Amino acid sequence: MMKGEEITMINSLDLPSLLPEFLPFWESVGRSRLSFPRCTECGEFHWYPMVRCPHCQSSAVEWSDVEPEGELYSYTKVCHPFGDKLKEKVPYFVALVTFAGAPGIRLVTNLVEVDEDKLRIGMPVKAVFSGADGENASIAFRPLVGS
Amino acid sequence: MSHHDPVCIVGIGETPPVRRSDKNLRQLVIDASIEAIADAGLSPSDIDGIVTDSVIMPNSVPHEYVAAQLGIDRTFDAALSYGGAGIVCAPMLAEMAIRAGRAKNVLCYFGVDWGSIPAGPYGFHDLYPAKTAYEKPFGFSGQPSYFALWARRYMHEYGLKEEDLAMIAVNQRKNALLTGRSQARSELTLEDYMNSRVISDPLRVPDCCLISDGAGAFVMTSAERAKDLRKPPVNVLGVGFAMETMTGDDIFTQKPDLMHIPGAAEAGRQACERSGISLDDVDFAEIYDCFTISCLMQIEDIGFCKKGEAADFLRSKGTTVDGGFPVNTHGGLLSYSYRLGVEHVVEAVRQLRGEAGANQVKNARIGLVGGLSMPDYGVAILGR
Repeated sequence: MMKGEEITMINSLDLPSLLPEFLPFWESVGRSRLSFPRCTECGEFHWYPMVRCPHCQSSAVEWSDVEPEGELYSYTKVCHPFGDKLKEKVPYFVALVTFAGAPGIRLVTNLVEVDEDKLRIGMPVKAVFSGADGENASIAFRPLVGS
Repeated sequence: MSHHDPVCIVGIGETPPVRRSDKNLRQLVIDASIEAIADAGLSPSDIDGIVTDSVIMPNSVPHEYVAAQLGIDRTFDAALSYGGAGIVCAPMLAEMAIRAGRAKNVLCYFGVDWGSIPAGPYGFHDLYPAKTAYEKPFGFSGQPSYFALWARRYMHEYGLKEEDLAMIAVNQRKNALLTGRSQARSELTLEDYMNSRVISDPLRVPDCCLISDGAGAFVMTSAERAKDLRKPPVNVLGVGFAMETMTGDDIFTQKPDLMHIPGAAEAGRQACERSGISLDDVDFAEIYDCFTISCLMQIEDIGFCKKGEAADFLRSKGTTVDGGFPVNTHGGLLSYSYRLGVEHVVEAVRQLRGEAGANQVKNARIGLVGGLSMPDYGVAILGR
């Protein structure tokens, strides 16, 4: 991927298949926010959404906004299309991003606006939101420096 | 039977390693089962217990189908975990049944038709809701991408090189070609590896297991009954089963430490404790090599070497069948076939009987089999 070249964000393609547990996440994304489930009893975040807090089994779980800037934990350039829908999308970047405000969570996401040679684990990344109407809400991350 | 008498594997069977079989999964499982029972010198009517995994087989070739097809009047059946951990730990359930007097001769079987069915192994992960609903829309599906994230991070933390992953793939291909029947038939050099197609970087085609149709089976009985059977018994010295308490959705990305597989460490510890065997005594290992990176990590987590040191350890030992620490003596899931580890158990028995042929490890007396089914792990230590 060359500097400045954007790939289409692909995570909005299949939104109709989403589970109700993920609705608050996508509603937040539709408002250009990032939020995760957090237990109000023990204060711990968890991901993916579960029926009860997996740390203390409390059902007092609420969604909590998190600063949509994080750190690149790992990434891969996916070159093989796992499914017909992805044939026109490869190659694209999938990443794990961590957040200082949500310890323990690693968010699966796409990287956009990537200069591949400058990608480094640990580099700061920032959320890119698009689609404000909730139904087509999408989120990806771009490097904060080096691109 | 005495508490100290081992329970034994006395018969093995497997269908030929192939990408696509002209037989369906039921035929494949029955073929492998009949072969294993005959190999033991038993008749199907001698079998009174059946063990398999608890997810894949019950939904494709269930216990009662196998029993009906073979005429097995069973007093015991059981299932544990899924795939690799399930079939590697099947000897644990069979042992419990035999020791408790619930069954005399137990058939363990497993097979997949992921070489033929649409979406194959990728489709299997659709059973996990968050993968389907959240991850797939990001183009994050397909097991190579999960393990690519691990590999990239591992490279960052421990300085692993592409050449290190290549070493595992190249050595296993050498082992595979010696068998004369492996699914992968072409030689693989370091140069071939470096020129191979990238799947999900840093993982290339040779880093990823094959996709196969096929089945394997083995028969277990007591040491006392084993004396009268056709083949020399292989003793089940100790089995361990452990896991990380996370869902199948979370385990590839959210586990607290992405670089450790704690189930492998604990299952390995249990198997060593039960068998009284030290890892130093292990002559060869059949490790669940769904990917080069996961094979390497399991070798560390089981405890053969420290975290971050597997590449140097394996390079210094040598992992081909003539090396100091042969790993995946039949070529493994990478080069022999991908039947989720049942072929690892069958191969370990072959090695311990001295029946392996050109890929025989000299003086193989103790073998360790590791089976991974994230988040579960199984270790079986077998010996003669």
